[in-house]
Amino acid sequence: MSNRAELSRRSFIRLVGGVGASLMLGSFATASCEPNPVAAAKSTRAFVPNALIKVDPDGFVTITICRSEMGQGVRTSLALLAADEMDADWSKVRVTQAGAGPSFGEATGQGTGGSQSIMSQGRHMRELGATTRLMLIAAAAKEWNVDPSTCRTEKGVVYSADGSKSVPYGDLSASATAFPIPPGKIQLKAKADRKLIGKGLLRIDSPEIVTGKATYGIDAKVDGMVYAVIARPPDFGGSVDSFDDAAARKVDGVLDVRKCQSGVAVIGKHTWACIAGRNALKVTWKPGNLSDTSTETIRAKLKALEIDHQAMPAGAKVVSATYDLPYLAHATMEPMNCLADVKDGSCKVWVGTQNPHGAQGVAASVAGLQPSDVEVNVLLLGGGFGRRSDGDFVADAVELSKMIGKPVKCLWTREDDMKHDHYRPMAYHSMKGAIDADGKPVAWSHQNIQTQRPWRGGTASFGDAELVYQIPNAGKLSTGTECGIPTGAWRSVEFSVLNPAVECFIDELAVAAGKDPYEFRHSLLGDDLLRNVLEIAAKNGDWGKPLPKGSGRGIACFGSGWNTKVAHVVELSVEKGKIRVHRVVAAVDCGLVINPKGVQAMMMGGIGDGLSTSLGAGITIKNGGVVQNSWTDYPWLTMDQAPAVEIHVVDSDRDSGGMGEPPYPAVPPAVANAVFAATGKRVRRFPIKLDELV
Amino acid sequence: MPTYSINVNGTPRTVEAPADMPLLWVLRDLLGLTGSKFGCGIGACGACTVMLDGRETQSCQTTVADVGHSKVVTIEGLSPDGSHPLQKAWIEHDVPQCGYCQAGQIMAAAALLKRKPHPTDADIDAALSGNICRCGTYPRIKEAIKAVAGGNK
Repeated sequence: MSNRAELSRRSFIRLVGGVGASLMLGSFATASCEPNPVAAAKSTRAFVPNALIKVDPDGFVTITICRSEMGQGVRTSLALLAADEMDADWSKVRVTQAGAGPSFGEATGQGTGGSQSIMSQGRHMRELGATTRLMLIAAAAKEWNVDPSTCRTEKGVVYSADGSKSVPYGDLSASATAFPIPPGKIQLKAKADRKLIGKGLLRIDSPEIVTGKATYGIDAKVDGMVYAVIARPPDFGGSVDSFDDAAARKVDGVLDVRKCQSGVAVIGKHTWACIAGRNALKVTWKPGNLSDTSTETIRAKLKALEIDHQAMPAGAKVVSATYDLPYLAHATMEPMNCLADVKDGSCKVWVGTQNPHGAQGVAASVAGLQPSDVEVNVLLLGGGFGRRSDGDFVADAVELSKMIGKPVKCLWTREDDMKHDHYRPMAYHSMKGAIDADGKPVAWSHQNIQTQRPWRGGTASFGDAELVYQIPNAGKLSTGTECGIPTGAWRSVEFSVLNPAVECFIDELAVAAGKDPYEFRHSLLGDDLLRNVLEIAAKNGDWGKPLPKGSGRGIACFGSGWNTKVAHVVELSVEKGKIRVHRVVAAVDCGLVINPKGVQAMMMGGIGDGLSTSLGAGITIKNGGVVQNSWTDYPWLTMDQAPAVEIHVVDSDRDSGGMGEPPYPAVPPAVANAVFAATGKRVRRFPIKLDELV
Repeated sequence: MPTYSINVNGTPRTVEAPADMPLLWVLRDLLGLTGSKFGCGIGACGACTVMLDGRETQSCQTTVADVGHSKVVTIEGLSPDGSHPLQKAWIEHDVPQCGYCQAGQIMAAAALLKRKPHPTDADIDAALSGNICRCGTYPRIKEAIKAVAGGNK
């Protein structure tokens, strides 16, 4: 670890320790981070060693979570990291959610995305827990007049060396405050001493969820609140030409109809009045300048950017392929929504957001205020996948609240959500590779052309392919062009677009070389960790064992990002014109596993997303707008279609990687490769349609 | 606006609502029972599932006028304190991820077990295939239901 990193972490702890209650919204109202010189056996004051941990006199520990919970289990995993180092009693740990707080610097900003939560904040949470524990020990040791280093802790209690004396943390809550944050390097627990990390804890939010008490953005409510639904243009760039609201205003419960930035808002006493009012509203839309834009025209625009591939070595067997990937909607179960209350020079929002500071900035800008005038209350997210990093749904609610002077909860219907997303870009991949006489790949050329400027690493000319496979003469061109359809981060970001092309094409090269696709990959991988998960998936996935005619196995891996390595083996059959996935065996190495149950769950989710976007869901464009409306034409995996899934998690003590993105990118190509194994035909376009195989 | 008396979670409730107002919005916006979720409004995702006289019903597809004398049970009324065997099993099997669909999943499962206390895998698939989860909880939902049902008899 560099000195600089150490310094940055220590200053983080001091900084966090110094900002105290200002970060908290309510939960720390009575607590203080000021040293309390009064030591007492029975405390009435909470111990707040830093802004994220509070120990109450009753022994309950409250840990503030500065990341958003959207199903990835972050409220459980960040809490358990601090609690483990603290030796807290997990049954007495509660979590509370931070709103948009003061900036803690780059490493600990509050955005939740890019699989960063554990990677960027995990160690900090452990250090906060560890320093809290030392302060509690110091308080007990002073009371007992013993050397603190002789004391030990277990489940929320400090013990003297011989165990003759003990004091629960709660009883130290007043006296511990008098002790400084311990100087020197913070020692974290060795593997053998960990009580919670890696043990498989149940999700901390489940009791609230299964009783319907958990509060998502859509459930927010304040006094005097009204509801709103907005009629939005059918195309991108479209706008309101005129509207007739006479019928809408007659709908029971409709309070007002207003033109707004996103279209025409129907404001009502309840959501149904808004929906019914919107149905009665007559809007004439002025089309944007994308009327002629369709999936086909966009595809042609991308293909026009294709250039000649790098020259292939003379005498080698040349293989070519193209892959088309569609726009994808995030389709979170909870459609976008936000509650905003703008009044008296301030603004409060209640929202499920992955980006509290982004929401704060958007709200401030729309309300005409400073970010510091905006209070952002972060509620649970009914899914995020990148969509809730954006602030467009916040802007709607803030604008309407400011306009009518009341708190407004603005809900996007499913159709609004599907048609006005910020989509995973559409992409056209052109691939060329070559195999020598010995069946070794000797060239690789990949053109990745997207409907936007590519994320990280976009180049206008062929450059390093950054391939996990060791192939000479490997080049990649990543380029794109703006097509007018809004795009954004979607689970696994650039790799949701890149990896299917790479993993399908390596499969095609293997077959052209007369090699087994698993053995071929195995022989070319330079990454030991990735090779290991590939081996585990293949072995447990019965790679190479015979299957009935019409069935096949496909394999694919992903090891290009977030410090996590994944491999999948998909087993499927093609019967009566339908693809049925029977089994998925996966292996993952994400470094130190914080919560094995969480890792399993995230893998399940990535597999579900991968199967859904391989076999059903895809966004198409017509007349400059999105064709799909809802789950009926953007079909997601249902329980009756879900395969048996088996996930093998590698035991590792290296720094934890991310688990949000990595479970996805190898799934679509593993499906496509299995379709080839079952049918002898290749997938050129996702989602996969049997009549489009070649 | 007409007035309706409906029985929700064992309590008679009176609401003033348009006749075509879906039960979902009556529950959420008029009665403050936000456990039932809006996912699509067209009966395609199951997030709004409640029980009507013990049968799973998509509350976004049932108008307040249609409820009549039927007894409505929502996730809030499944048990007084979260002690319904399915709620306990959901926690023990660590089912929820984002959790947004889970009220609907649990209500669909509760209705299934009422009419078929020992369902087969195929029964569970058939009963819950209208409830979409975006997180990947299907295998654990199945495990939890089977743990409660105690096997196919």
